[in-house]
Amino acid sequence: MTVGTNAVKRDAHDKVVGAAHYPGDLAASDALVAKVVFSNEPHARMVSMDLSAALDVRGVVEIVTAADIPMNEYGLTMFDQPVLIGVDSTSRSKVPSDVSRWEADHVAVVIAETDAAALTGARAIDITWEQLPLAPDIDSADDAAVLIHPENGLSSNTYYQFKIRKGDMNAGWALADVVVEGSYTLPHQEHAYLQPEAAVAYVDEEDRITVQIAGQWTHEDQEQIAHALDVPLDTIRVIYPAIGGAFGGREDMTLQIVMAAAVRKLHARGIDRQVRALWNREESIVGHHKRHRAQITARWGATREGKIVAVEAAAALDAGAYNYTSNKVLANLHLSLTGPYDIPNVQVDSRAVYTTSVPGGAFRGFGGPQGSFVTEMQMNKVAEALGMDPFAIRLANVLHDGDDYVTQRPMPDGVSIETVLERCAEAATWESPMTDPAQVTPIKTLGVSRSVSTGRGMACALKNVGFSMGFPERCEADVTLSGDDEIEAAHIAHAGADVGQGAHTAFLQMTAEAVGISLDRVTGTFSDTATSGDSGSASASRMTFMSGNSILGAAEEALKAWNDGDRPAMGHFRYVPPPTEPIDDATGEGWPIFAFGYVAEVVDVAVDTETGHIRVGTAWCAIDVGKAINPALIRGQVEGAIAQAHGYTLSERLAVVDGRTLNPTLSGYLVPGARDLPDKIETVLIEVPDPIGPWGARGMAEMPFIPYAPAIMAAIHDATGVWFDSFPLTPDRVLEGLGRLAASE
Amino acid sequence: MEGRILEVRISVNGVDHQSDVEPRTLLVHYLRENLSLTGTHVGCETGYCGACTVIVDGRAVKSCTMFAVQADGASIQTVEGVADGDELHPVQEGFWECHGLQCGFCTPGMIMSSIALLEENNDPSEAEIRHGIEGNLCRCTGYHNIVRSVQYAGAKMRGESPQGASQEVSS
Repeated sequence: MTVGTNAVKRDAHDKVVGAAHYPGDLAASDALVAKVVFSNEPHARMVSMDLSAALDVRGVVEIVTAADIPMNEYGLTMFDQPVLIGVDSTSRSKVPSDVSRWEADHVAVVIAETDAAALTGARAIDITWEQLPLAPDIDSADDAAVLIHPENGLSSNTYYQFKIRKGDMNAGWALADVVVEGSYTLPHQEHAYLQPEAAVAYVDEEDRITVQIAGQWTHEDQEQIAHALDVPLDTIRVIYPAIGGAFGGREDMTLQIVMAAAVRKLHARGIDRQVRALWNREESIVGHHKRHRAQITARWGATREGKIVAVEAAAALDAGAYNYTSNKVLANLHLSLTGPYDIPNVQVDSRAVYTTSVPGGAFRGFGGPQGSFVTEMQMNKVAEALGMDPFAIRLANVLHDGDDYVTQRPMPDGVSIETVLERCAEAATWESPMTDPAQVTPIKTLGVSRSVSTGRGMACALKNVGFSMGFPERCEADVTLSGDDEIEAAHIAHAGADVGQGAHTAFLQMTAEAVGISLDRVTGTFSDTATSGDSGSASASRMTFMSGNSILGAAEEALKAWNDGDRPAMGHFRYVPPPTEPIDDATGEGWPIFAFGYVAEVVDVAVDTETGHIRVGTAWCAIDVGKAINPALIRGQVEGAIAQAHGYTLSERLAVVDGRTLNPTLSGYLVPGARDLPDKIETVLIEVPDPIGPWGARGMAEMPFIPYAPAIMAAIHDATGVWFDSFPLTPDRVLEGLGRLAASE
Repeated sequence: MEGRILEVRISVNGVDHQSDVEPRTLLVHYLRENLSLTGTHVGCETGYCGACTVIVDGRAVKSCTMFAVQADGASIQTVEGVADGDELHPVQEGFWECHGLQCGFCTPGMIMSSIALLEENNDPSEAEIRHGIEGNLCRCTGYHNIVRSVQYAGAKMRGESPQGASQEVSS
């Protein structure tokens, strides 16, 4: 058995000796430098751009502008963003390319011999802007005096909506013995992967414009580049070397298209030198999307026995200046507003709103954290209103196999939320929480404070696996077997991105298992559009699930060919899961999701009511992974997800004001360090097989993030009696909430 | 100062280098660009993330906060110079064995900080380990496996036989 063992990561050796190459490590010594120039204008129309002084700077070789982009638009699910803002565009795109809608919109790429020349050239570009009114947040964007994308023909900045109309709300409210209302504000979050954006680009030996970059979906990058440059797909090649973290933050384009455009323009001039680009941390934080801000209200009704009988909710998602994946994030948020619960009467309205602020997009959980925060807060508040145990009230409402989802179609088989909750409660000994504050000191150097209160909280969630809502989900793999009488070696070619999670190691393990040979006889070629079919992205907790099924199919084909006498024997397979469908516009009915993962968490916290500091003692996470392909890597995903959720909940406060990010540094935006995290993370891996998962595996890497924030809020409430409906809970906000500090705004 | 070139003599991983550098060249850029030692990473250029940590004359230093000219005459160790031929340093072995890395971008800096910590105290408590690596950010792992990796290395350096993770199997 190779599946189920803790194989060491395939890239671990290179990474501990410093031999792994990230995109910033690849450039040839004579590479040209590309400097991407940001507009620095949250909302303005370009009147003129004069490049003459910039082109005169010694060492500046070329400048790429909007005129060089034949189809000046891009976007993962909607082409609504110009590649370059400019006045000289001849593109056929209907998106006006002379308007900057985000401070990090790109206006030009200066290509030079040195970094210094590129920077000097960038500063010498003379642009005249006509200021347009800002609509930097949902409230101001709702006042439709300013339309950010008038080209879409809509009369407001709300451009995407979902509804749920299930059951009979009046009947639901009539049954309710208690009604709980809440209004919640969810913050931005920055990915803060340690490797800032970087790329090298060149024309390869087969005349393909080639971009080596860190991304999450090679073939999507290739398609976006080919679309914008209006060239055939096979003239573009995308390769991922080592990737320094992603978490959703590399799902959209940053340097991909502009680097390809730079190489194309140089090539046309007869210059075939490599081009490199590297963002600093400030450019990285200003220049890529964030986890969405959102405003959500909810009203829940429950019977005295704890049965939730009515849920009404309304959500507004700040999409920022461009869609990115906001419509898909909105769908996930929308459906998670009822969580893993069977609720008879539901009315939900969700919408995405364009603003002149940083775009929201993919980030671990993809709408789940925002929606589930509200759901779990409401559930915990209902429990309090009824005097019920938070664990018991969940058990009274959870979905089971055979139940309908909120979309009024059956849940995919393998619903395990009840088991997950029970195992979590058991591991945490739910009935006997930590009571000794001395176990946890919010500020270690101060010792135990007498003002410390402790508390315990619980939350749970489900999260969809894979692209949902009718997206044509698929994943390809190629397996080659070699040897004479016996299979001596297997090779797997797969495009799937290893963003650090260990995907390539899992691919090798699953290939070994599927072929029936030992792991040391399996090799792989990965993440290159020239050598593999489309895998889909490393996102949506889908990669192990989808790749595993593609590998199983390819191995079966290869074994068939082997038995037919082929040497080497090759197998190709394109896995397609059960097709999903979009939900109905008016009622939300439909079958949008083919598989789910389930998770529950319990946390113990200590709150220093004098200083406002919060310390998390132990966090228990019970998660159904279906089958742990590599348990050690899975535990790493749980611990990493909790660390990110810890920052989201307690310290990561991105200041985006009037469309500008004010603290784009790691000293101003506080990612947890080694001493900030829970004292202990106890992971309980549960294996209830997914009926269509490879070896029963489910997706899992987003799930542990989702219940953490509401579990912390429940524990703080247990400790202090105060509900916090917005976060991050920096000490000043804790003290404000406790009434010990006047509100600052 | 622009255009002025200074000569520095720096020993890196036991090899003496005599190089011409601009006064403004940061040590990390000297290592990466002049010497092509790209194992030392740049994560923030503000001394906060620690991905650029190297050991200068026995002390862990963030090489983005030091000019190359300040290292004139110094002896520097980077992640490329830690292993003894094919034999990994105990700290490298710990990170390998205990799954102490995911994306690996912070790893070289983590390894250098951990080596500096263990050379001072090869039996640190968990709190001392966390204190010792507090200047190095990791966004992937949640630090637990990093702490275990350093504990593994400490045990190895004390001549004990440490426990890795590779034998654990799925339940």
